Amino acid sequence: MKKTPAIWKIERVFISALVGFLLFGGNVAYQRNPSVELPSAQSTLKAGSDAPGFELKIIGDHGKTMKLSDLKGKAVLVDFWATYCEPCKVEMPWFADLQKKYGPLGFQVIGISMDDEDMSAATIMGFARKMGVNYPILQGTERVADLYGGIDGLPLSFFIDRSGKIVDSQLGLVDKSVLEDNIKKSLAQGGDPAKTPSGK
Amino acid sequence: MRKTLFVLILTTCAASLLSSAACAQSSSAQTRVTIDPVPAVSVRAGHMTPAQLTFHILPGFHVNSNKPATPELIPTALNFSLPGDLVIAKVQYPAGQLLSFPFDPTQKLSVYSGDVNVKFSVIAQANAGAGSYTVHGELKYQACDNNACYPPKKIPVDFTVSITRGTPGHKYPHN
Repeated sequence: MKKTPAIWKIERVFISALVGFLLFGGNVAYQRNPSVELPSAQSTLKAGSDAPGFELKIIGDHGKTMKLSDLKGKAVLVDFWATYCEPCKVEMPWFADLQKKYGPLGFQVIGISMDDEDMSAATIMGFARKMGVNYPILQGTERVADLYGGIDGLPLSFFIDRSGKIVDSQLGLVDKSVLEDNIKKSLAQGGDPAKTPSGK
Repeated sequence: MRKTLFVLILTTCAASLLSSAACAQSSSAQTRVTIDPVPAVSVRAGHMTPAQLTFHILPGFHVNSNKPATPELIPTALNFSLPGDLVIAKVQYPAGQLLSFPFDPTQKLSVYSGDVNVKFSVIAQANAGAGSYTVHGELKYQACDNNACYPPKKIPVDFTVSITRGTPGHKYPHN
């Protein structure tokens, strides 16, 4: 069918309207909701990026601190959790098992408690002990939460390889096998191949 | 050629529309609980009058009830900061639903989901001066879905109370 000038005109107007929406409409739609929160920065901590460094107080260890850089050369799982988080309670005994299994290969779990800073060390550590935790629990801060993307949800786990790069992250409860696969990847990357797990 | 260009532009625009919609949806999903404005309350000095806060929990999420199943869980609670002439009393939270969730099917938690009403009474002291007062408060809650929990949040709850000396109301029983 041959297009008449009138059809071309309609087509041009339609295209202009769509392009206009493309440039401005989407933006307006995004701004309409005043309670929009910034996108979770987990998306900015992509696999392959350097894990943000931190130094945090070890809960129940008389003011001692731990730096992420203290674990250089190890594969690290950083688990953000809180006592109010029921799914976190499911994962913590798994992390204790995985620490036992992969610790000798150079793996370390670190728990970072995101409970209110006024919650007592005794309460947090009492809870952690009930969960069978055999790894250090650090006191989270807003600064570290921001560095790791604002921590909008828990549990939030970051898997870090031996060279300090992020291998993967998981928000929410996932199957234990997913955690274990990521630990194996963390152990296998960024370090001495002789120390990597066989995968069996 | 022109037809191909037209199809290309249409496809791009459609993708943009979809992504804008997805963006707006995911943004609003961050606001897991919303509240209805509390209607203005009128109460006679020395009397009390009922009021209610209604809040809505987004489908797929739940919050702890006012009496959660374990002490670690953060209860949903309504707190007010009151002008001297007013008292909030008889705050009645609904009972939570006892539900288990996929993250631990063996445990039942006391939670709210959907629409929730919290009833309370506004009392004007006998010596309260007539006039309009603003009550400031906040609803504290902590939400979870089927596999993650979200940090505790507070939503401001503000409403107006007019204290009069001639309108009806239930006489506040002094003990």
